[in-house]
Amino acid sequence: MLFMIPLSYNVRSLLVRKTTTVATALGIALVVFVLASSLMLAEGIKKTMVSAGSASTGLVIRKGSDTELSSGTEQKNVALVLAAPGVKKDGEGTPIGGGEIVIVAALDKLGTDGQVSNVQIRGVPGNVMKYRPNARIVDGRPAQPGTNEAVVGAGLRGRFRGLDIGQSFDLRKNRPLNIVGVYEAGGSSFESEVWADIDTLRNAYGREGLVSSITAQLESPSKFDAFRGAVENDKQIGLEAQRENAYYEKQSEGTSIFITALGTLVAVFFSIGAMIGAMITMYAAVSQRSREIGTLRALGFSKFAVLFSFLFEAFLLAVVGGLVGAVASIGMSFVKFSMMNFTTWQEISFNFEATPGILGSAILFGGLMGVVGGFFPAVRAAQTNPISAMRA
Amino acid sequence: MSDDAKDEAPSDEESGSGNGSAGPPIIELKGIGKTYYRGKERLDVLKDLDLTIAEGSFEALMGPSGSGKSTLLNLIAGLDTASTGTIRVAGADLNAMSDGERAKWRASTIGFVFQTYNLMPVLTALENVELPLLLTNLGSAERKTRAKTALKVVGLEDRMDHHPRQLSGGQEQRVTIARAIVTDPKIIVADEPTGDLDRENADEILNLLDKLNQEFNKTIVMVTHDPAAADRATQLRQLDKGALK
Ligand SMILES: Nc1ncnc2c1ncn2[C@@H]1O[C@H](COP(=O)(O)OP(=O)(O)OP(=O)(O)O)[C@@H](O)[C@H]1O
Ligand SMILES: [Mg+2]
Repeated sequence: MLFMIPLSYNVRSLLVRKTTTVATALGIALVVFVLASSLMLAEGIKKTMVSAGSASTGLVIRKGSDTELSSGTEQKNVALVLAAPGVKKDGEGTPIGGGEIVIVAALDKLGTDGQVSNVQIRGVPGNVMKYRPNARIVDGRPAQPGTNEAVVGAGLRGRFRGLDIGQSFDLRKNRPLNIVGVYEAGGSSFESEVWADIDTLRNAYGREGLVSSITAQLESPSKFDAFRGAVENDKQIGLEAQRENAYYEKQSEGTSIFITALGTLVAVFFSIGAMIGAMITMYAAVSQRSREIGTLRALGFSKFAVLFSFLFEAFLLAVVGGLVGAVASIGMSFVKFSMMNFTTWQEISFNFEATPGILGSAILFGGLMGVVGGFFPAVRAAQTNPISAMRA
Repeated sequence: MSDDAKDEAPSDEESGSGNGSAGPPIIELKGIGKTYYRGKERLDVLKDLDLTIAEGSFEALMGPSGSGKSTLLNLIAGLDTASTGTIRVAGADLNAMSDGERAKWRASTIGFVFQTYNLMPVLTALENVELPLLLTNLGSAERKTRAKTALKVVGLEDRMDHHPRQLSGGQEQRVTIARAIVTDPKIIVADEPTGDLDRENADEILNLLDKLNQEFNKTIVMVTHDPAAADRATQLRQLDKGALK
């Protein structure tokens, strides 16, 4: 036997004080909403970035560069890398892979007055769809290799001036790119790029004979070590091989940690207000019901039973608020969000990604706010002197 | 009366007034003092008070306002502790017990009836009566049965699903009495149980207390200002300025 005050006493007491209960629960709901949303955003960023890469694809950049953007190596090394052991070959014995060049262009963002934002443009060889099997044209047609045609990722389409089928924009003065198609790439960050012909891009920027990175499909994920060994063997060439998914995970880390930290900070800041709200509500409840508490103590319920009863009441109040906040945050998963990736300085669009873990921990955080805010009121309730409470 | 008869005359405590069956002492207070301090001012509410109450007795405690009646009742009920003296109630030395021990002891030994009823407004009559049984080892079904039986004793079994605000003052007080007897305590303490009731309802409550004393052999200690209530008791005591007259 627990010798506890029945929980229905707390549930019904909350229902009796509808207005204060709802107001307090909403405060907690807001905090849980903020927390859950930012965790969902961080999760969405991670998922978008990580899904760009595959474990059975090798990505080679210059040793010491953190990103493709800052990397560069000679075109002749592409053939060397593609000849390394473990690289998958097609029916004709041609290795599946290629060298790419990555640059960033500032384009006019639509729907803003003259705001400019960075867009990543990838110069790709003709066989790009072969070594990026999750990419496919969903509208228009593929770009003709060796021309100034380009395809735009679904995440960027229509969001910048010139980035839609039939439109064009200037890479540099008199160096236009014509958009002829739209591609999807499994919701990954590749969808936030423009893919153009590698030579057209190199000519426009005077970077003939150079590539930023070399991508190679491997026969299996287990072949990576052999591939890497061969690629990094020649210290003179100075190349570094990574699994493609590991590379993109690293690219997303900074941003997702930043979002998580910012969201947690804001939530913690808000939660102070919500906890004070819960505390005020519970103090009011304790003083309103001091006669009831005194009676319970007279009847023989222990101080601990009273303490637990009011802590439970605060917890219940907060968990209900937390549930409301969590359910509201699920609504955010229908919202697309676009922001700068601080590692690559590139606009990427994300989804808020709801997971059971995120929702569960946000609700638990709400309940915790109730317990913390309700603690001192519950202690006061437990200290109620039955005689003076019933005299009043 | 002859001199012989006078010598053999039984004392008050042994015979009572013939209502309840007076038994061995169940409440024994010796040299009880209760002092409050208001700043530097010392207030002796009870002074060197001795009191013995026999098991099965129905006691009425009267006296002017502020004379210490409630204070005395709270000491007997184990809600408060004396500043000096010893209190033995139903075999327990109350001054020697911790706060927690006294709470447990109250739950099993004392039934409370308050002037202002003090029911839980969000609980039904049945749930209110069941409340003290949550401090026993009884299962849910047995608790419900006993709570219903107690409501039957006070004639409110048809109101068990009503909330306090749906009941009259007299009915609320009857629910309180049901709650006081549901654990079958030895002693019932009542602080002005008819104070908020009209004559008719007051009489009904007094009839119930009478019944508890006579049929169920409960020892009852009742503080009252109502002379009609005091008449029902087997023993009337007057408190004045912290001393029994
Ligand atoms: N906690 C306390 N602190 C200080 N004085 C107190 C305290 N409790 C009671 N008193 C005082 O003790 C005295 C006796 O109080 P008590 O409540 O026992 O009187 P009572 O006989 O029950 O009066 P009433 O008939 O009005 O209920 C009063 O003067 C009261 O003011
Ligand atoms: Mg009093």
